Amino acid sequence: MRNSRWTNLIFQLIAVILALGFTTLVMLIAKAPPLDAFKNIIIGSIGSWTKISDVLISWTPLLLATTGLLITFTAGLWNIGIEGQMMIGAVFSTWVLRLLQESTLPPALILGLAILGGMLGGALWALLTGVLKTFGGVNEIFGGLGLNFVATSINLWLIFGPWKRPGVASMSGTIPFPETLWLPTLPGSRLSLWALGLALISIVLVYFLLRGTYFGLRLKAVGKNAKAAYLLGVPTWQYSLAAFALCGIFAGLAGAMQVLVVYHRLIPSISSGYGYLGLMVAMLVNYQALWAAPVAFFFAALNIGSIQLPVVLKLDSTLSGVLQGTLVLFVLLMQGARQKLGIRN
Amino acid sequence: MTIPPHTFLLYHIGCRLSVVSHFVIHLIIIFLSFSHSLPSHSPMNVDLRHIHKTFGKVHANDDISLDIPAGTIQGILGENGAGKSTLMKVLSGFIYADAGEIRLDGRATTIHSPADAIRQGIGMLHQDPLDFPPMKILDNFLLGRAGGLFPDRKTARRDFLALAAQFDFSLDPEAYVDRLTVGERQQLEILRLLWLGARALILDEPTTGISLPQKEKLFATLKKLAAQGMTILFVSHKLEDVEALCGRVSVLRQGKLVEMMTPPFDAGRLVESMFGKQVTLAARTPARPGLVTLRAQNLSLEDSRLQIHQANLDVRAGEVIGLAGMEGSGQTLFLRACAGLLHPVAGKTLVGGRDLTGQAHHAFKKQGVAYLPASRMEEGLIPGLTLTDHFVLAEKMRGVFINREAALGLARQRISAFNIKGTPASTVESLSGGNQQRALLALLQTPLNLILLEHPTRGLDIESTLYIWAKLKERCAQGSAILFISADLDEILQYSDRVLVFFAGRVSPPLDAAQTSVTQLGQLIGGKGWETLAGEAAHA
Amino acid sequence: MRHLMKFISLLALLGILLAACAPAATEAPAATEAPVATVASAAATEVPAATAAVPAEKFIFGMLLVGPYNDHGWSQAHYDAGLYVQDKLPGSEMIYVDKVNPADRPGSTPAQLAEDLVSKGAKVIIFNSDDMKDSAIEFTQNHPEITVIHASGDSAWADGKDFKNLPNMGNIMGRMEFGKMMAGCAAALQTQTGQIGYLGPLINDETRRLASSVYLGAKYCWTNYLGKNAADLKFKVTWIGFWFNIPGVTSDPTQVANDFFNSGYDVVISGIDTTEAVTEAKRFAADGKQVYAIPYDYIGACEEGAEICLGVPYFNWGPAYLATMTAAQDGTWQAAWSWNSPDWTDINNPDTSAVGFQKGAALSADASANLDKFITELAGGLTLWKGPLTLQDGSAYLADGEVATDLQIWYLPQLLEGMDGASQ
Repeated sequence: MRNSRWTNLIFQLIAVILALGFTTLVMLIAKAPPLDAFKNIIIGSIGSWTKISDVLISWTPLLLATTGLLITFTAGLWNIGIEGQMMIGAVFSTWVLRLLQESTLPPALILGLAILGGMLGGALWALLTGVLKTFGGVNEIFGGLGLNFVATSINLWLIFGPWKRPGVASMSGTIPFPETLWLPTLPGSRLSLWALGLALISIVLVYFLLRGTYFGLRLKAVGKNAKAAYLLGVPTWQYSLAAFALCGIFAGLAGAMQVLVVYHRLIPSISSGYGYLGLMVAMLVNYQALWAAPVAFFFAALNIGSIQLPVVLKLDSTLSGVLQGTLVLFVLLMQGARQKLGIRN
Repeated sequence: MTIPPHTFLLYHIGCRLSVVSHFVIHLIIIFLSFSHSLPSHSPMNVDLRHIHKTFGKVHANDDISLDIPAGTIQGILGENGAGKSTLMKVLSGFIYADAGEIRLDGRATTIHSPADAIRQGIGMLHQDPLDFPPMKILDNFLLGRAGGLFPDRKTARRDFLALAAQFDFSLDPEAYVDRLTVGERQQLEILRLLWLGARALILDEPTTGISLPQKEKLFATLKKLAAQGMTILFVSHKLEDVEALCGRVSVLRQGKLVEMMTPPFDAGRLVESMFGKQVTLAARTPARPGLVTLRAQNLSLEDSRLQIHQANLDVRAGEVIGLAGMEGSGQTLFLRACAGLLHPVAGKTLVGGRDLTGQAHHAFKKQGVAYLPASRMEEGLIPGLTLTDHFVLAEKMRGVFINREAALGLARQRISAFNIKGTPASTVESLSGGNQQRALLALLQTPLNLILLEHPTRGLDIESTLYIWAKLKERCAQGSAILFISADLDEILQYSDRVLVFFAGRVSPPLDAAQTSVTQLGQLIGGKGWETLAGEAAHA
Repeated sequence: MRHLMKFISLLALLGILLAACAPAATEAPAATEAPVATVASAAATEVPAATAAVPAEKFIFGMLLVGPYNDHGWSQAHYDAGLYVQDKLPGSEMIYVDKVNPADRPGSTPAQLAEDLVSKGAKVIIFNSDDMKDSAIEFTQNHPEITVIHASGDSAWADGKDFKNLPNMGNIMGRMEFGKMMAGCAAALQTQTGQIGYLGPLINDETRRLASSVYLGAKYCWTNYLGKNAADLKFKVTWIGFWFNIPGVTSDPTQVANDFFNSGYDVVISGIDTTEAVTEAKRFAADGKQVYAIPYDYIGACEEGAEICLGVPYFNWGPAYLATMTAAQDGTWQAAWSWNSPDWTDINNPDTSAVGFQKGAALSADASANLDKFITELAGGLTLWKGPLTLQDGSAYLADGEVATDLQIWYLPQLLEGMDGASQ
């Protein structure tokens, strides 16, 4: 066991080195200074407290999305629809705020209800994918993609229709909520400890859920061999639906955080692509909850740090995307190579 | 009762030959008419020298040297885990040997991959045929064929049909592979390897999934191919198969080559070489049937290929019923219907007097019905999960969190009770076939009313087979009824109290196993003698 | 099943990567505007080239671009303007962040990125999209020492609905209505079938106004220069639902352009940010059909299909930004809302004109001459936003002889009579 863990680590390291090498090569071809670029990414992400807090802000929804995806991946499901689930979570959250912002309820209660609303919205939307799969025979990848489009159009329709700003409807979203309805942040910072705490609690919960509970084990069984799990007495489609619903809850929570902490309103691309990024993180950590937090942090740091590239070096900041993408590819490649070389677990 | 093994084996062979003589004659006629179109290849000599392979602490192949002249049918005998499959995987490029040399026609060579092996003329037929389920048969057939992006389907189709006709395999090239039985998949794989130009053919336990007539067809074919210079490595743990077919036999035990023999084979010595000890056969205990646990009432079933009309059966507590028939004759449909995995189009299924018709498998499970599928790794066990995980899954949930200590204790107890070679942390895919089957049995809950098994001992050595039946008989003694499918007629007659024969969707009335001979059974599964049967049924 | 899963996962990964690499087509030039009669620091003032005494210290300005800096559209027009300022104002230096939108820069807001630019020494920050409105205002309030320009915004317009009265925030926008009129005129002069299609984005005040401007220009040239009956000019607006194609959400602009060309419309004018109209016209032209297109936003937009391009109305932000930076450096900058007209002496003068029209190779000699005449008339004071004008539903918009105020133009409630297409 120990032996295999070490080889595992070595292969992952090789993958990281290869990804860095490939990115360097791309930069050299583009006649960009790789060392400067990497240095700027590092400084731009963890060079100061402000930067670190920016990374943490980005980390929160990414970690929540990844947390949800760990559940669906465990159940053997490709929940591509997570983007839509985040969006509908954000829509529900916004809806609750709009309904209650004129009321006399204490803001804390309204915020709490908005968070719950977001979770409910995400769960319902995810269940829709699950129902389509279970009862309609629609593969969750295609169902999820379709529902992502539907969620986007619902979102746009709301922003440009019923919830538009007085006067001109705008890409910049609905009118911002009053500051009383923002989730409290640290003084002088955009970082909300509430959001951060919710994300950390979520990942810890899911870690134990998947590791130590009957539910987690049965979910794993469904994911690895649904036929056998069924014969062993696991109600498979019910567990699939539960996995979708749980993932939707975390996705919806991420959507709610985008509304309550980051944008304070509903905007067209409220999910910020965290769902897709979360898929990459989940693949990279091989669906292990333990590694999700640090790797998600790394991805968030890349996102924030790469902003320095155009500012300082006049480089295209998609470079961070190249690094993220190649990292996933090389890790998957290395897993393949490891199996090919016959190194057994 | 203890009998010397060779007597036991001779009994088998004697019965078989008489049953299938008409098939053999039939095959000879077929082969005479097709022999001109058989693929002819230059002969190849396969020489393995000092092959070593270890997995962790296990020395799977320990200095094995084997020189096989072209045109030989070389038998490789050994119990499960003796290293047979490992040796064959080395030869077919799936794994590299740690040390040693492979020489083909006297030239030392390295085989990099299975694709490389087939390029060099070595084709391997696996224990679990590797295929791509959602494909059409013809597309699967075309796989691995060099020749550009757009294969010539027309020619391939013609070749396929010609080859299939030679072996009397009734495979529709436009059907889908996932609809095939294990036996039919093997047939397809054989055709494909021949078509790809194999000069040496490795068959790993090829007779386990297929029916008796299919097996006879196969043997005749292999002999014909060998006569034309094909080198054949025939891996098996069944002495009678090896004796009927092979020109030479080598025996592996615990990674070492311990015996090499040419005909006439001394069966006793072979068994001793395989196991290092004598084997005891379980005594046959007459059943004392109790209450009806399962009643199939005018059960009509159908799938895309087959229909069963109005089958009736009462299964009583403590009895064993064997379902005989060629692959795909309807016995699987019937068994699955008894498990609630297939809903009947008409009729009723009652378990313990309760009508469960149309209910899901879990409702049956609740009434004490257990189902053990044939494809252990596809339907029975969950690759990636440990033995402990499996035992926890099979038990009832207690609370939310799994008690690891208790789970480990349970796993240890079951592992020792079922003599499984593995640890609580072993993943099921790391176990050998026999141990996987033991694990499946170990997962059965207590008490059970009805145990449904597909091919419970397929691919297992004699020792494991005996062990598993001993465990099943214990269950019968506790009041469980057993329904099982087997392609091995001897197994059916040996362990059943009553036998149901299936032929193309027709179901025979239950036959008393004690009053039925292998010959009679062989004719029935081939579709002969059903007229008299109807009379018997009426009489009964 | 395992193979299938592997295959699908690979596909999915590829998809994700592609999505990550694709240029974010998010760009929303929502021109919020309305002219205040007199604009203090309006753009087109002469460049004080005399004050070329190089300041010892660098003057840094920052720009937040909603799309990629090289998008051949809205953002590139701004980026090029920044380069123009660097070139003309000694000692100035542009720093920028592009793709400032939540999809491309998850977790960061424009305000946060603007702060980053300030920490790099920027004294002026330009937010280039309506998208960034809330963030721009938040940033402006928190950083009174920084000069903020919100391009296309209206929060500095005292008469506007969104006036915020922030002393350090200004708005700049070009009067694209003129460019759109020229586009309409060119289309009317060139069409053989008398049918002009307008590929509209989403429906709001701005897009209604711009589509109507196209129609006014087309109708004027159709009746006055070609002497034809206004009723014979068919003008149809098809809204796709957004600024660019979102598969499954908007109508497919390629399909819409296709439908136009197939049903007798031989000129399609684009109101969206992407160039489907040009691409489709090129395809039809290759099949031997005589069709034309007019793109939008960026001076170089005709390059994709010069042979079918009648011209492009474009923004030229350079002069206004140069004036802003110069004033900010001198300390003479004042908050204002600027709606800049073309330089009527030469609408394509890169140093003076805020809006231009670049003629395309496909414009016939006759049409070109008439278009020049039209531009000259506009320069001479011709106003087409003048009564009698009726709205689409038949209600009166402008009485006979009445000239529309900027507010009336800005808040145009419907399309005009004679236009085919939805108003709401």
